[in-house]
Amino acid sequence: MVNKKQVTKKFVFLAVLILLSAGLYIYARVFAKAFDAGIALTYPVAVRILGRSASSLLGMAVSAALIAVVSLAFQTITENRVLTPSMLGFDSVFLATQSLLVYFAANIGFMARLFANPYCNFFVTTGIMLAISMLMYGLMLRKDKNHIVFLLLFGLILSSIVQSFTNYIEVLLDPQQFQQLKAVTTVSVTNMNERVIVLAAPSMVLLTFLFVRQSREFDVMLLGENHAKSLGVPYSRRVNSTLLLIAFGMAVTTALIGPLTFLGLLAVNIARELFKTYRHSILFFGSILMSVLFLVLGQGIVELLRYAAPVTVLIDLAGGAYMIILIMKEHRL
Amino acid sequence: MIELKQVSQAYGTQDILKNVSLKIKEKRITALVGANGAGKTTLLNVAANLIPAKSGQVLLDGRDICQMETIEIARKIAILKQTQHLSMRITVQELVAFGRYPHSKGRLKSADETKIREAIAYMDLENIKEKFIDELSGGQRQRAYIAMILAQDTRYVFLDEPLNNLDIKYSVEMMTILQKLVQELDKTVIIVLHDINFAAAFADEIVAMKGGEIIREGPAESIIDGETLKDVFDHEFHIIRVGERKVCVYFQPQPDREIKRSKDCFI
Ligand SMILES: Nc1ncnc2c1ncn2[C@@H]1O[C@H](COP(=O)(O)OP(=O)(O)OP(=O)(O)O)[C@@H](O)[C@H]1O
Ligand SMILES: [Mg+2]
Repeated sequence: MVNKKQVTKKFVFLAVLILLSAGLYIYARVFAKAFDAGIALTYPVAVRILGRSASSLLGMAVSAALIAVVSLAFQTITENRVLTPSMLGFDSVFLATQSLLVYFAANIGFMARLFANPYCNFFVTTGIMLAISMLMYGLMLRKDKNHIVFLLLFGLILSSIVQSFTNYIEVLLDPQQFQQLKAVTTVSVTNMNERVIVLAAPSMVLLTFLFVRQSREFDVMLLGENHAKSLGVPYSRRVNSTLLLIAFGMAVTTALIGPLTFLGLLAVNIARELFKTYRHSILFFGSILMSVLFLVLGQGIVELLRYAAPVTVLIDLAGGAYMIILIMKEHRL
Repeated sequence: MIELKQVSQAYGTQDILKNVSLKIKEKRITALVGANGAGKTTLLNVAANLIPAKSGQVLLDGRDICQMETIEIARKIAILKQTQHLSMRITVQELVAFGRYPHSKGRLKSADETKIREAIAYMDLENIKEKFIDELSGGQRQRAYIAMILAQDTRYVFLDEPLNNLDIKYSVEMMTILQKLVQELDKTVIIVLHDINFAAAFADEIVAMKGGEIIREGPAESIIDGETLKDVFDHEFHIIRVGERKVCVYFQPQPDREIKRSKDCFI
């Protein structure tokens, strides 16, 4: 049985680490930036950089948390510990949706407004992503869900198809539209689409709430489809509704911060190792803390060392290696 | 009450259940027998609404089971599947606790804790209850799953080959426990058995399936009969009497070899 005190202790420990990392990040931003730019660190300058850093921090925290809950839920409904939605091309679906929107925006009047308004764009994109991913994953996951290699292959093929499609659409765009498209699709940790935060933060809270509320049901689902059903979990319905929420979460985080391919995998699995439990009520929060910690700490270190590349490169490097280890461990290759 | 009305099921073009109708007798042990692939597992799955029937109806207490909430069914029917596969690492106790989910939704109260303790004691798992499921022997694991089913504490208990992996002592004990469940706790047990002797000794009713149809059903005594069993299994049976009991012998000692061996002995 889980020791509540120990869990709380670990939560607090992680939270403190996150605060320290946030301090590091802000320090790196404020001092290093001012120093590099050669401007004296006067009060108004500091406040301005501070404000920017704070909103970046918020954006990172929101995305990292979203990625974490979505990845954990995804691993539970697909009964595997190696794959996360980002690895299966959920984010490339986002890119494709955006390019389609831009393309149609050029030709149909009201679509232009849709695309230009970040909120409308957000809702339309999310809607389309929901539809596409439900269709694809509903079809795929029903059939052969324990087959990790098969799913990976599917993700790979989906990503490349969607990417070629995106490239094709890009060719059709005129330079100005192309610029518009790039503005929304080349977001990253250092170049967030900050206007989306207003929508992303509440979405994150809502999604986390919805997922955490179902924790006990997710626990039962770990026993496998048959047992879960015979214990009274409406399995197919739950899988579908979870997929819907996952697609929504992926749309939000991709719009905000771009792809974070391996962050979810790292956060969820290390949280599992750390808390040594299957209970989702603990793992959801553990993964969120872990994920936020990785992103903020990593970005803090990167800023401090003044690397040009965003932290995602590092996370992908570590995450990719970790995934190979996981696959080897689980399948005893 | 569970009643199957003209239930059919098919995978692709292959008919697995053909217009099966069955009224399950209350407060009895019903053994489901038949060759591999006869459709026993499918029948149980349909009856417990794990897979929907292609046509026909399953009535649970007079209501169409398809119209019921999954959790409502789970409070009335517990089903142990033929094969277990577990991808997470949990202890025996935690597994058994999952059996309470339909009642507690995961928030265990003291009544739930009691049921869990009882189920663990029933299946003789006390000294291994802290062990992880993946560290148990096949029979211990099977017992842990059965304890989970017992903790679920439902009126109907479906067991698909629960004697898999159990040694002789635990097999007999398992069947005795089922008899106690029926006699003392008024439960209704449906059990898929391959060893016809276990069915003969412990079941009240036997339902024999072949090719997706029920070809015989009735009190155990009436089914244990050379002709009937040959029909069901396409295999010769000899029925011998041991005291009050009928025992089936279903392997023929090969006469040639027997003679040779006895000759060998003489030389
Ligand atoms: N998922 C499935 N897809 C296709 N055919 C299936 C599926 N499950 C079962 N079948 C077929 O249905 C038939 C009946 O299977 P079922 O599992 O009900 O047999 P059974 O009586 O339980 O056999 P056993 O004694 O081997 O457990 C078999 O011919 C099997 O090939
Ligand atoms: Mg079977």
